[in-house]
Amino acid sequence: MATLVKAAGLTKKYGDLVAVAGIDFEIAEGECFGFLGPNGAGKTTTVRMIHCVSPVTAGTLTVGGLPSGVDNRALKMITGVIPQEINLDNDLTVEENLIIFARFFDIGRREARARIAELLRFVELEAKASCKISDLSTGMKRRLLIARALINRPRLIVADEPTTGLDPQARHLIWQRLRQLKTQGATLVLTTQYMEEAQQLCDRLVVMHQGRILKEGTPSRLVEDEIGREVIEIRTPPEGDGRILEHLAGFGCAHERVGDTLYIYCRDGHGLMKKLLELDLPNTLNRPATLEDVFLKLTGRSLHE
Amino acid sequence: MSLSYRIAYVFLRNLYSYKRFVLPTFLVSLVEPVFYLVTFGIGMGAYMGAFGGKPYLDFLVPGVLASTAMMSASFECLYGTFVKIVHERVYDSLVATPVSADDAVAGDIAWGSFRGLVSGGLMMIVALIMGVVPAAAWRAAVLVVFMVLVGVLFGSLAMIVTSVSPSFDFFNYYTELVITPMLFFSGVFFPLDNFPAWMKVLAEFLPLTHAVRISRAVFTGATAPGLGWSLALVVAITAAAFLVSIRMMRKRLIK
Repeated sequence: MATLVKAAGLTKKYGDLVAVAGIDFEIAEGECFGFLGPNGAGKTTTVRMIHCVSPVTAGTLTVGGLPSGVDNRALKMITGVIPQEINLDNDLTVEENLIIFARFFDIGRREARARIAELLRFVELEAKASCKISDLSTGMKRRLLIARALINRPRLIVADEPTTGLDPQARHLIWQRLRQLKTQGATLVLTTQYMEEAQQLCDRLVVMHQGRILKEGTPSRLVEDEIGREVIEIRTPPEGDGRILEHLAGFGCAHERVGDTLYIYCRDGHGLMKKLLELDLPNTLNRPATLEDVFLKLTGRSLHE
Repeated sequence: MSLSYRIAYVFLRNLYSYKRFVLPTFLVSLVEPVFYLVTFGIGMGAYMGAFGGKPYLDFLVPGVLASTAMMSASFECLYGTFVKIVHERVYDSLVATPVSADDAVAGDIAWGSFRGLVSGGLMMIVALIMGVVPAAAWRAAVLVVFMVLVGVLFGSLAMIVTSVSPSFDFFNYYTELVITPMLFFSGVFFPLDNFPAWMKVLAEFLPLTHAVRISRAVFTGATAPGLGWSLALVVAITAAAFLVSIRMMRKRLIK
């Protein structure tokens, strides 16, 4: 597949603070590419450079072969942005929000009307067309942000934590819509802190931490490579770790102690559980490995604030 | 500088938003001139005698036209724009579209100027009803154009203040220390002739002084000394303030 977005040595500094520290990545046309990372990892800064609202400090960044830049109107014409913060125009109605955005993209009046009707249907807001923004729920606002981002039929859609603060129903609806857009051929760039979201949507992703890319791959590949297939959580005081690990020595598994829990990463969870039963531990759990395990392993378990 | 026809789209956005506030703002814009013209013009004017052979109102109206345009444009580009940047985040969504930050700022200055024109226009209508008319009909048209210029001038100056303002409170410095004193030292309400020499010199540094001088000359048809100089100065300050405000807002908006 052709490359749509290409970054080499991409760097962003705010004064002395390095927000993005020389990263390289390529996003293919038609894929969903995710940026995962804790707060302050540099995800939002990176996508803001991709959609041309934040200037690049150093390195190169091209979209469709054109260099990204704040005055690059040609790139903004083909990009749709679903922002992290709900920045709908509260002085305007639902429909007016879309009418004005259509103007911003030089879309003619008649064409705009047709697209707005279609988009309101797409995000299930037809009934709310003449409502004030303040009368919408958070889920509706987020859906309207999606409709607004699609008004110019973008080739590249940038979604910056699109489901923050939503209930499961609203979140699943948005995931469905985003997947639908991908099948229609759009390229999707997503940032998220929700591992389930990444697993649901992303073809490929990178895990970012402190402005750098730690790992890149498909979600399943990353889990397989970093963690294995299964995780066993044993809630037990750390004093017993030596005895447990010695008991399981034959399996050659990686392990990690965090607070009150001993994590064992393995491929053969069944065999390992059988062996563990001999120790008669009170609180053990065997579950499949997830992207969340990868995330925590790579970015550490301390709070990022 | 990245300006384009999209300035008009930003203006249009403001017009859409304005629909909901038209009535209250029209009322405010009407009450203010009536208040000025009745209290100062009629109440105070009664004690003032004639100004160059004409009633005080004829002196007052052209001055107040300029100062009203200044006030409206200033407030729009201070509070109005600040709300759009910080509270409503309208600018955030704008700059992610083909509308540039420069377009957005210029569109808001144009909007401030329009609000100044609306206020000044209403003032002029009230004055006409009260029988205070320009020396010729075409002069009213020239005044309309001039009020647009005054709006761009003070809208741009206000935009510079907004570009560095951390909060609403900061605007008080500008309105109380710059705008209000300017209102009283620019010859809006009384001629500067009786000021001591140093104050007259000081007044020449106030852009409103020149705006009022031009407005009055256009309104009354009586030429004043230094009129060409005043016009050149107003145009020059407007151009400079506009360019500086866009540069400074760019710094605030693009990070």
